[in-house]
Amino acid sequence: MNRILAALACLTLMGAAVPGLGAELRVLVKDHHGKPVTDAVVLATPSDSKIAQRAKPPADAVDQVDKQFVPYVKPVFLGSKVRFPNSDHIRHQVYSFSQAKVFELPLYAGTDAPPVVFDKPGVVVLGCNIHDWMVGYIYVSETPFFAKTEAAGTAAIADLPPGEYTVRVWHPSMEGGENTTLRQVTLAADAPTNITWELGLKPSFRVPRASGAASPGYP
Amino acid sequence: MGAVRRHKQRDVLGQASAATLGAYAAFVLLGTIPLTAYGDWTLGAEAGVRHDDNVGNAQFSPDRVADTLYVARVSLARLIPLDDGYSMTVGGDLGGESYHRLTGLNNVSLDGAIALKKKWGLGALAPWARAAVTVARSSYDDSYRNAWDYRAMLAAGRRFDERWNFWADYAYENRAASPQAEEVPGLSGDAYSQVSHSLGINLEYSLMESTYLVAGLLARHGDVVSTTLQPNATVYYASSALADDPAFGPHAYAYKLTGTTYGYRVGLSFSPTAHSLLGCGFERFETHADGGNEYAKSIVDITWNYRY
Repeated sequence: MNRILAALACLTLMGAAVPGLGAELRVLVKDHHGKPVTDAVVLATPSDSKIAQRAKPPADAVDQVDKQFVPYVKPVFLGSKVRFPNSDHIRHQVYSFSQAKVFELPLYAGTDAPPVVFDKPGVVVLGCNIHDWMVGYIYVSETPFFAKTEAAGTAAIADLPPGEYTVRVWHPSMEGGENTTLRQVTLAADAPTNITWELGLKPSFRVPRASGAASPGYP
Repeated sequence: MGAVRRHKQRDVLGQASAATLGAYAAFVLLGTIPLTAYGDWTLGAEAGVRHDDNVGNAQFSPDRVADTLYVARVSLARLIPLDDGYSMTVGGDLGGESYHRLTGLNNVSLDGAIALKKKWGLGALAPWARAAVTVARSSYDDSYRNAWDYRAMLAAGRRFDERWNFWADYAYENRAASPQAEEVPGLSGDAYSQVSHSLGINLEYSLMESTYLVAGLLARHGDVVSTTLQPNATVYYASSALADDPAFGPHAYAYKLTGTTYGYRVGLSFSPTAHSLLGCGFERFETHADGGNEYAKSIVDITWNYRY
């Protein structure tokens, strides 16, 4: 019996050292009417800044499909190289005026465009100079621990090193800034931590895509 | 005698129109396929119903004829982005109108257009200007109105933010109808040909997500056609041309006058999907023409637009 208990204790200690068995943060984001909010970016910043420094930015991509950016919201880690493949059979001209990244990819088709490095944290609003209704968002995160909510308003960040974190939420249509959503949490490896946010959302006004003969916008 | 002459003209014009429209359709389709260009094809469709309370532009109540018409249109255009903020659009569309009562005004039309657009800067808020030329051929059940329609347009505008959009346009239109025989010696029978200049300013505002309000003002100067159901001496003396207008009745006459029209339009539209727009609108026009001929008309419409 003692041998079995000793073996279980060893397995538990070994498990704590395996990255796949870290802490987990599960979130639910709703609006004031209780409806799930999709495309909300959830970010967990560890108090120990050395943890974040160990992460390396991966390569990422934002596609263009049916004259829309896909995905509509893309969170990436600071320093990420993001490609903008064009899956439409037409040319696009992707640009951003945002402080976090000013860039322009001249007219291109297919996968010809060079990747863009996002080296400043913040929100980057994407547009296409040919198709004015195309809007997309890249959230450049200073922490490697982030996720985006699905249609059910849920997201999970797994394999977090246990410890103290500041967590927050951002959404393109949120009322107030993301700093109004800040929370301090202690994440432990033994059980997932659940957090629910309720966001106020502003109406999302977009340039109309389909328009009558009177509209001059397109073509 | 007049009726026999009218039918003969209709047959000849009807055959000519079919051949012309066929050749023109081929021309338009060829024009939309610049094979070497890398372009963005856009397919559009429109369907709607419209009520006009004074179709014939008549001044007095006994001559005013109201009618409801159904409109359908399909279009194919190719947007070709060029360098330095320029883009070119080449396209054509085929449309038709069907009147509930005035069936002689039922028509089909085919038009081809080429437009050059310039944007100063990047993004949806960059100011822009556009020049366009269209050529259209219309064929009516009442073939008196068959015409070639030539239009040159200049437009410029700017979107101020996601909610406010403004543009202004100028159009020169030359409608060359088939000349009719003189009803009165010395007075031209070419009543359906018109030349005009028009100016418009338009404002679009997003009321809610996917719901838009559009308002516009229009001023137009040039030829107008006013139809009376009985001969009208006042209009006759002011007119520069006169022709039978059998679509309105056996004793109806169409008079060509010079006039100035002022009008406005308000419309509300809703985009149920990314590709479609459902809208309704109200237009009011008041025209001051030669000889003290003043008439007004109101139009209400419901339209559905699809663009892919």
